[in-house]
Amino acid sequence: MTMTTNPNRDDFLKRISQGLGRDALPSAPVSASPPTLGPPEELHDRVRHVAELMGRDSDNLMNVLARTAEASNWNVVRVADAREAGLYARDLARDLEARSVVHSLHPIVRNALAGGLFDGSGVELTPVALDRESEEAMARSQAELRVIMEASDLAITGVDYAIAETGTAVIIPRAGASRLVSLVPPVHLAIVERGQVLPSLDELFTLRRNDFANCRLGSYMNLITGPSRSADIEYQLITGVHGPGEVHMVLVG
Amino acid sequence: MESRTAQFRQGSASALADEQIQRNLQGLYSGFHSARLTASAATDDWEGLRERGQQIKTHVIENLDYYLDMLSRNVEKAGGKVFFAEDAQAASDYVVSVANSHNVEMIVKSKSMLSEEMGLNERLEAEGIEAVETDLGEYIIQLAGETPFHIIAPAIHKSAPEVAELFADKLGSDRAANIEELGREARRQLRAKFMAAGMGISGANFLVAESGTVTLVTNEGNGRMCTSMPKVHVAVAGMEKVVPSLEDLGMFLRLLIRSATGQMLSSYVTTVTGPRREEEEDGPEEFHLVIVDNGRSRILADREMREALTCLRCGACMNACPVYRKVGGHAYGWVYPGPIGAIVSPMLTGLSAGKDLPYASTLCGACKEACPVKIDIPRMLLYMRKELTQGDNYPEEKSASAGEAAAMKGWRAAMSSGASMRAANLLGRVGQRIAPKSPNGPLSGWTGSRDMPEVKRPFRARWGELKDG
Repeated sequence: MTMTTNPNRDDFLKRISQGLGRDALPSAPVSASPPTLGPPEELHDRVRHVAELMGRDSDNLMNVLARTAEASNWNVVRVADAREAGLYARDLARDLEARSVVHSLHPIVRNALAGGLFDGSGVELTPVALDRESEEAMARSQAELRVIMEASDLAITGVDYAIAETGTAVIIPRAGASRLVSLVPPVHLAIVERGQVLPSLDELFTLRRNDFANCRLGSYMNLITGPSRSADIEYQLITGVHGPGEVHMVLVG
Repeated sequence: MESRTAQFRQGSASALADEQIQRNLQGLYSGFHSARLTASAATDDWEGLRERGQQIKTHVIENLDYYLDMLSRNVEKAGGKVFFAEDAQAASDYVVSVANSHNVEMIVKSKSMLSEEMGLNERLEAEGIEAVETDLGEYIIQLAGETPFHIIAPAIHKSAPEVAELFADKLGSDRAANIEELGREARRQLRAKFMAAGMGISGANFLVAESGTVTLVTNEGNGRMCTSMPKVHVAVAGMEKVVPSLEDLGMFLRLLIRSATGQMLSSYVTTVTGPRREEEEDGPEEFHLVIVDNGRSRILADREMREALTCLRCGACMNACPVYRKVGGHAYGWVYPGPIGAIVSPMLTGLSAGKDLPYASTLCGACKEACPVKIDIPRMLLYMRKELTQGDNYPEEKSASAGEAAAMKGWRAAMSSGASMRAANLLGRVGQRIAPKSPNGPLSGWTGSRDMPEVKRPFRARWGELKDG
C-alpha cells in the first residue's frame, strides 16, 4: 500500500489539546489516574497472588464455574481425567451423528483424543493447524481447513483459562489454536483443566497485562460465555445465529 | 447518515399512533430494563464500580490527547495501522482506499454505530463495494432499507412475520414459519458472505491505550467472524472509546454488558491487538484502526458537555426513559436515540436542527440513575435548553430561537420593575383575547404542545378591590 498512516495525527491531537485548554500534548496525564486494580509497578505482586489463588482455591473455583457455566447455557460435565473427556467427546460425536470433527492441538485435547479413540467410528478427525512446509502449502492448507471447518459437525478445543464469575472459557489463539475452530462448527466442546479457573475477569486481565509486559499478548483473545445468541427478533432468544448453537464444557480433575 | 433530528415531533407522533411499535417498546422495559436491575444487584459493589467507571472515563477524557497518542503508537507497535479521521468523510475515504488497495468487492460488517454515523454503507455502495451487515438485527434493517431502532436491538420494531416476509422478498427464501427458522436462514446466507469477503469492518467497544487493543462485545459471533475470516480487518472507533489499561477492562465489561442486556457477560468478548502473528493459525494479515472525531472535539471543548463523551453506549438510559419508551428510536432522527442521543445527536449534527431533542425529556432523572458511568444527562439537557435560548457558545445556532430568546429577555426586563410588570400583565390579558392560541404565532413553540396559562388579573389589583370593596 502506498498511503502513509497517521498523516493527520498531529493536527488531530492538537485539536483535542486545544479543546482541553492546552497548547501541546502533555508528556504525562495532567490528572492522577484512579487505578482500577492497582499501579503497574505492583503488577508482579498481583500476578503472584493470582497464581496462588488458582492453586489454593481450585476446588471451590471448579464448583463455582460448574454453576455459572451452566447458568450461561453451557452443558457442563465433570470428569476425572483426559481419557474420560475423550470418551465424552466420542459419545457426543455419536449422538450428533457427526461425520467430521475438527480440533485444536491444546495438550489436553491431544491427550483426550490419544489412543485411536475415534478409530472405526467413521468420524473424520482433523487438527486445525497449518502446513508450514512452504508458503504455498500454508495457503493451500488454510483454504482447505476453512472448507473442512465449515462442513464439520463438532469442534473440540482446550482453553487457556476459565472464569468462575461469569462461566466463561478463554481461548488465546496461537500455534495449534486457531481463531476459527471454536466458532465455525455448530457445536463446540471446551475442555477445562483444574488449575485453569480464575475467580473473575479482573484476574484474567491482570495476567493478560503481564503477558503484554512480557511481549506475549498475541493478536487475539476470545472470551466465550455459552452459545451464540440473538434476541434481535421480538426479544425471543435463539442460539447458533453465527457461532455454535450448542456448547459443552468438560471440567477435568 | 442524514440527520432528521428536526422531525422529532412528526416522528414521535407517528410512533405513538403505531400499535405494533407501542407493543414492541413495552418489551424494552420488561426485558432489558429489568434484566439490568437483576444483573446489577447480583454484582459485588455495583455502586462502587459505577463510581470508579465514571472516574476513569472522566480521567481519560481530560487526558484524551495523551491517551490517543499512546494508543496509536501501541497499535503501530503491534503491527497495525492507525488513521486519524477529522470527520466522517475522511474516515470513509480511508476505508474505501484500503478496500481498493486490496481490490475488495465485498465487505462483512459487525455492528458499529459509528459506521451508521459515517454513512459508510451508502458510501461503499456508491464505490461499487458490497457491504453486508452481519448482526441479525442490522441485517434485517439493511434488507429493509431502514435505520436502527435501538442501539442494542436495532430491529426490535419488526415482528417475526414481517421479517419472514422481508427475507422471502429480498432473499427469495421460503417463508420461515418461526424465529428459529429465520435465524437459520440468516446463518446460511451470511456464512457464505463471511467465507467470500475480502475485508471485515468492526466497531470497538473499548480501545486499550497501553497495549493498542480493540475490544469487541457481541452475542451472535459475527464480530468474531468479521475479525477472523477476511484478510483485512478495519476497526472504526470514536475517539472517546479509550481506556488506559488492560486491567480496566474487567470493570468496564461488567458495567457495559450488565447495563446493556443484563447478561453477566455477552456470549463473546474479543480482543484484537494488531494483525495475525506469524506463528498463529489464522486471522487477518492487515489491521487498521480508524479513530474518528466527527464533531466530538466540539463536545470536548465545551466543559459543560464534555461528560457526554464518557458514554459506553449501553442503551440503559433508553430503556429507562419514559419518553423513549413511548416514541421509540426513529423519532430522534439520527444514529443515537434516547436521552444520550438527545444530547449527542444535536451536538454532532447541529443544535439548531435538533432543537426539539433537549426538550424530549421530562427531566425525571431515570437516565442518570440507569447510567453505568453516572452521566448527568438531565443537567446537560437543561444546559442545552439554556444554550438554545441564549446561544452564547453556538452563535451560528442563535437565530434558531431568537424569538424565544427575545421573549425571555423581555420577561427579565419586565420582572425587574413593578410598573412594567403591571403593564405586561395588562398586555397579556388583552393579548390572550385577541390571539388565544395562534398555531403559528410568535410563541407557538410554547403553545403547540402545552396550554398557555391564562393571564389573570394580578393579585395586586384584586387585593385593592377586596380591600376597598
